[in-house]
Amino acid sequence: MPMTVRLRDAAEYAEAAQKMFELSRAWFGYDFTRPPAMSRVMAWDPEFGGPHGRAMKRAMAPGEFTRAEKEMVAAVVSGVNACVY
Amino acid sequence: MHGHTAAGKLQGMTDDALWYEAALLVGITNAINVVADSPLQSLAPAETGPEAEQVFAEIRAFYDRAVPAVFRRLGGDPGYLADVWAATHRAFSDNRLTRRFKEALAFAVSVTTRSPFGTTFHLEEMKRLGVGERGVMEVLGVTQMFSSYTKIADTLQLESDMHDIAPVDWSPAPGGAARHRPAKA
Repeated sequence: MPMTVRLRDAAEYAEAAQKMFELSRAWFGYDFTRPPAMSRVMAWDPEFGGPHGRAMKRAMAPGEFTRAEKEMVAAVVSGVNACVY
Repeated sequence: MHGHTAAGKLQGMTDDALWYEAALLVGITNAINVVADSPLQSLAPAETGPEAEQVFAEIRAFYDRAVPAVFRRLGGDPGYLADVWAATHRAFSDNRLTRRFKEALAFAVSVTTRSPFGTTFHLEEMKRLGVGERGVMEVLGVTQMFSSYTKIADTLQLESDMHDIAPVDWSPAPGGAARHRPAKA
């Protein structure tokens, strides 16, 4: 199914968003050739994407469950939401 | 979904066995929940015999509580009950993933699918197995945030661009023979 919007290349974003892309790279611990689609969506509005991302990272931080376990929780939530992304 | 499986693998959960185990757990959790939450009050209570009672005894021992009504409902067909319970028991037992963590996964599934039975039952099981208030909040937080990300992705019909970053597990299925690993292009 085609996407409903055109995802902008990283270079099309303002400077403030570039920092979000760097944070995304650090978060995943992976050197993406270009920021993941979701990172580019969240960087569209840093006033939303910033606090949303911080809440996510707070929820995903190691505590009683590890970060890896929480990634699995996120995967099952996505699965039962029938989200292919 | 691809993104989190990939992210989990990057965090060290590289073995596919872990993900198979989680997926089977999600399936049986949802299967139990859909019957447990269905308005079946107009059905007569299931008549059960000794075969079902034996399974009920196993269920009571596993959960250390009375048999949940959903399993009593299945007791009218003891052969079916026994198989559903065997799958449930297998899925929730300690294996590569711990039973404690599996209850957290089942809780996340139940909250996400708005299952009153599953949410209550697996929350109680999490607590019984030692998950504290902080741990419950952690699972709720992850469930809530990724219920947001998934809907944002769906609304924009984003295509996954994450699955290629996950390391591939080339080990065979349990008890099977290893396959030839393809050379890198």
